Amino acid sequence: MSDAITVSGLNVSFGTSHVVKDVGFTVRTGESYGIVGESGSGKSTILRALSGLNRDWSGAITIGGARQQAKRPPAFYRQVQMVFQDPYGSLHPRMTVDATLAEPVAIHALGDVDRRIDRALADVGLDGGFRFRYPHQLSGGQRQRVAIARALILEPSILLLDEPTSALDVSIQAEVLNLLSDLKAARGLTLVLVSHNLAVVGHLCGRVAVMKDGRIVEEASLEAIRSGDIREAYTRDLLAASRRAHGAISAA
Amino acid sequence: MSSEAPLLTVENLRVRFHTPTRIVEAVRGLSFTLGREKLAIVGESGSGKSMTGRAILDLVPWPGEVTADRMEFRGQDMMGLDKHGRRAIRGKRISMVMQDPKFSLNPVMSVGQQIGEAYRVHTKASRAEARERSLSMLEAVQIRDPQRVYDLYPHEVSGGMGQRVMIAMMLIGEPDILIADEPTSALDVTVQAQVLDILERLVSDRGMGLIFISHDLPLVASFCDRVVVMYAGRVMETLDAKALSKGKHPYTQGLLGCLPDLDHPKDRLATLQRDPAWVSGGGA
Repeated sequence: MSDAITVSGLNVSFGTSHVVKDVGFTVRTGESYGIVGESGSGKSTILRALSGLNRDWSGAITIGGARQQAKRPPAFYRQVQMVFQDPYGSLHPRMTVDATLAEPVAIHALGDVDRRIDRALADVGLDGGFRFRYPHQLSGGQRQRVAIARALILEPSILLLDEPTSALDVSIQAEVLNLLSDLKAARGLTLVLVSHNLAVVGHLCGRVAVMKDGRIVEEASLEAIRSGDIREAYTRDLLAASRRAHGAISAA
Repeated sequence: MSSEAPLLTVENLRVRFHTPTRIVEAVRGLSFTLGREKLAIVGESGSGKSMTGRAILDLVPWPGEVTADRMEFRGQDMMGLDKHGRRAIRGKRISMVMQDPKFSLNPVMSVGQQIGEAYRVHTKASRAEARERSLSMLEAVQIRDPQRVYDLYPHEVSGGMGQRVMIAMMLIGEPDILIADEPTSALDVTVQAQVLDILERLVSDRGMGLIFISHDLPLVASFCDRVVVMYAGRVMETLDAKALSKGKHPYTQGLLGCLPDLDHPKDRLATLQRDPAWVSGGGA
């Protein structure tokens, strides 16, 4: 297996605050890689640097075998797409689903808009009736599906997911997680999933990086985490918190 | 709580919104009593759980209409009170912590002043007194350096700190009932534990009643005493929190079943099958 993403010595600063400190990791093609940590630990910032949204970083990022510069060529975005946390904030309120999905196709001059939109909507389990709706006419789960469809319409090989379910109800979360594992199986997508919920990361990912204060303090396989074979006290805290929540239900 | 009169009695609470085209029923005939305990209201978004909290405080926005056969606070009828009567209760006897501190705090007022304002609205305290009280409240919600935080503006505090500021503001009037609307869902696990600790102590030390609105079932099962499960504005069932996993209603089981579990991985998560009969008929 080749490497889809290689990051080494990544540093990001905003003014005087050093947000991401010397981070390095490798994601293999077709793998699902999870990043967990508290808010403010720099996990979203890493995704924004990977996706080219944040241009102020130093270090080395290699995606799909090509060393990336701060500014990315258009072809890059056909390969890497991102889904954001808040489906209420990430869709343009004055654009229909159709217009939202048509935009990336037009930008990349791919043509065949109709068929692509139909297919992208079908892929995320929405029927054609949703095509001419506005975001406010959709539920949270439907909006997140549209956001995923917008990312998939360019047929990327890498999908970056920034807390894709944390704004959603548990019932909708299950639907979105199922959708993501289906898409991954059908298309061989490489996923990078950022979340503060260890159970969500554990559901999709095989390997997990744990972040604290801008550093990756530990990287472990899911089996190691499950069996408690972990070094860092902080990872144990996260694991304990996740178990405590579930223990309360299953012990009853 | 058995011998004491309940703090709050609600019978057949309904909240309707009259829109030009139809009447939307957000809450349909909700009944419960609250003693000196931690009562959770759980359900998906749109199930009417937040609207229940707002209806108790008379904060349902226009064009909403609230009706109830009975809504009593310590035996005092609240439905018969006028606006001024309700306002005397709101914030002083019953108060509410909103979900998101970013949107619920006044962005152009320092957090300390906001806490003091909440106090001065209900008492004839001087500014200096209000400041003293605010500082001690900040300390009570475990903010390490109250003097410094007092002068900060909402955008300068973190999410967890903002949530604690809101709790301080709601508790400064020493209410009998606190309604907490998703108080921890915007917070990290570690901060979440701190906020829950604070709420726990307030309930046990001061004998406050807590209504904890949440969609996080595991959290509710470990933190609260009793759980009301709501769907589409109706109560599906009321359970002991300890017995949440033994809930009989298919909706309760459905909500539990769709949680990913670190230790028991499943290929596919169960998704919730909704039965239209729940809306019309209520319980299973």
